[in-house]
Amino acid sequence: MTEAPLISVENLTRHYKVGEEEVRALDGVSFDVMRGEWVAVVGQSGSGKSTLMNLIGALDTPSGGSYRINGHDVEKLSDDQLADLRNNEIGFVFQTFQLLSRSTALANVELPLVYRGLPRKERKERAVKALEAVGLANRMHHKPNELSGGQRQRVAIARALVGNPSLLLADEPTGNLDSATGEEIIRLFGELHQRGHTILLVTHEPRLAARCPRAIRLSDGKVVADGPGADVASLGAPPVPSPHPGAAA
Amino acid sequence: MRGFVDNLGLAFNTLRGNPLRSLLTLLGIVIGAATVVAMMSLVEGFRISVNKDLEGLGAGSFQVQKWPATFGHVDRAKYAKRPDLTREQGDALRSLPHVGHVSIEAYHGGRPEKISTRDRATKPNVTVGGGVPDYQFANAITIAQGRFFTDTDIALGGRVAVVGADVADVLFPGESGVGKEIRIRSTPFTVVGVAERRGSTLGGSQDGWVIIPLDPYYQVLGRVTNHNIAIQATAPEYFNQAQDEVIARLRSIRGLRGLQENDFDIYSNETLTGTFNQFAGVVAAATFAVTLLALVVGGIGVMNIMLVSVAERTREIGVRMALGARRRRILSQFVIEAVTLSLLGGVLGVLLGGGGAILAREVWSIPASVPAWAVLLSLLSASGAGIVFGIYPAIRASRLDPVEAMRTE
Ligand SMILES: Nc1ncnc2c1ncn2[C@@H]1O[C@H](COP(=O)(O)OP(=O)(O)OP(=O)(O)O)[C@@H](O)[C@H]1O
Ligand SMILES: [Mg+2]
Repeated sequence: MTEAPLISVENLTRHYKVGEEEVRALDGVSFDVMRGEWVAVVGQSGSGKSTLMNLIGALDTPSGGSYRINGHDVEKLSDDQLADLRNNEIGFVFQTFQLLSRSTALANVELPLVYRGLPRKERKERAVKALEAVGLANRMHHKPNELSGGQRQRVAIARALVGNPSLLLADEPTGNLDSATGEEIIRLFGELHQRGHTILLVTHEPRLAARCPRAIRLSDGKVVADGPGADVASLGAPPVPSPHPGAAA
Repeated sequence: MRGFVDNLGLAFNTLRGNPLRSLLTLLGIVIGAATVVAMMSLVEGFRISVNKDLEGLGAGSFQVQKWPATFGHVDRAKYAKRPDLTREQGDALRSLPHVGHVSIEAYHGGRPEKISTRDRATKPNVTVGGGVPDYQFANAITIAQGRFFTDTDIALGGRVAVVGADVADVLFPGESGVGKEIRIRSTPFTVVGVAERRGSTLGGSQDGWVIIPLDPYYQVLGRVTNHNIAIQATAPEYFNQAQDEVIARLRSIRGLRGLQENDFDIYSNETLTGTFNQFAGVVAAATFAVTLLALVVGGIGVMNIMLVSVAERTREIGVRMALGARRRRILSQFVIEAVTLSLLGGVLGVLLGGGGAILAREVWSIPASVPAWAVLLSLLSASGAGIVFGIYPAIRASRLDPVEAMRTE
């Protein structure tokens, strides 16, 4: 008997009504993700990557289709159950960090545990550990505006990890970072993958996608490719301008 | 419960973020709470001092007066036309079967006098009254030294006086005043008794008085034709009979017929308390109206600040939801915030109103006593306003869509 997939998406659709027109942001998407996989989601702007992530992250409800996360039929859950699912099963990392600006790094990381109803002391212990794991032990009492972009994203990752979720979602986590810092963050995801975390990561950069064991390409709300990261990443990449002969690095 | 404590922390964060704006929008709540506490302190203070005054009337006593005992506006012209209550009319009541003591009292409109001995003098603040021996019983005077004056003193034409404790303190410090001579408008009187201290009510001392017999009173301070008559029934259980008898006798000797209204007022502890309660009821109703208005204005202020707060923190709300906050949790966060805000207004109002009342008492001797229930009522209604006006912004916050909310700046 094979292990059940952690995520199982079947014919998932999400339509938006804009005036008279219907936008099919997701138009029948199906795929499975096994426990421990690291999957990149790529595609052009407007192809439906964020829409997909929000659905899998239980932040949004689909127009049709079904999906299961860790055995939960997400489309059948109530509002409260969705909140609990987000709290227990999912760690979400956003492009714009989404930290609470008036709270310290530590308080931000504690937040998911607050909603889990853990006692103060345990919350703090776990938040400290999570911050240590992303290399920010010495920035715990800083507020977001006292941190660099890369440090902010590390806080956000610590916050996503603190509840020990079964799934880590990241929507363009390097989108607001310079390439060196983005590289650092991707390396951190690599480490997390090594430690056994299941990761679904949206990125614009083929270079980053190529490093993932697996990538899914979306186009106009449909899956157009699903395979090893290196292959999928090169598919839709803009043609690499061929260097002048003799000018090779 | 843990969630509640966490939400409370959040509420204080919001306040700290915008202290001035918070305070300004709370003004209505502050005013409402201050009004309740200040007005109720005044009413309570007056109630206590009226009760204390009433203790001065002996048990089963009542008063007959030309002037009514009311609080507030009195139509003076109507009462001025009433014939005076004479000494003879008072004496005519003594023979009534259930009437025990009849105290006929003369005051010159309460004009204060200066009392002196050879060595000392009081300030011109002593109330001098004319009376009869029954004064002691109808007014529940307790004698500390000596005795009250008697019919024998009066029959002997004696210029005798009973003095209040304050007067004795000033004129005879550290010694007994009994047997000593005092002068009222340069006429000498012999002190036969010093009364026990009664303390003060309505901000004034109750011990700054001298009582002398009626005849010398007329001679020294001028003829008085209108008197107060205080009557004590032969026993407390005959209070009603005594009152009926007095009314009948006075009506007959003052020539009132059939349906004619009494041309005198009778009041006792009960009627005075009733009048006072009426007055207190009016004040309470007015206070209630003002407070309700202030609370509504304040509540709208709270609603406004909460709506602004929800709008400003839309992204934060989205993040909290994304991290697993249930809608109910967001709702309670904002309701608790609104209640904390209004409660703060309530506390400020209570401090302001209570402080004002205490200041009024200490500086202007206005009787005021801050009742605990008024404080509690203020805080409860402030919290109530917080819940009522905080619920709508909180519902708006809890209904936000997390994806949309996180997209706002
Ligand atoms: N709230 C919305 N209302 C209407 N249309 C929407 C809404 N959100 C997304 N869309 C549309 O759905 C489509 C997919 O959007 P989505 O945000 O998923 O794209 P994306 O792949 O994440 O793009 P990007 O790389 O620019 O972030 C787009 O055409 C977008 O215009
Ligand atoms: Mg996107």
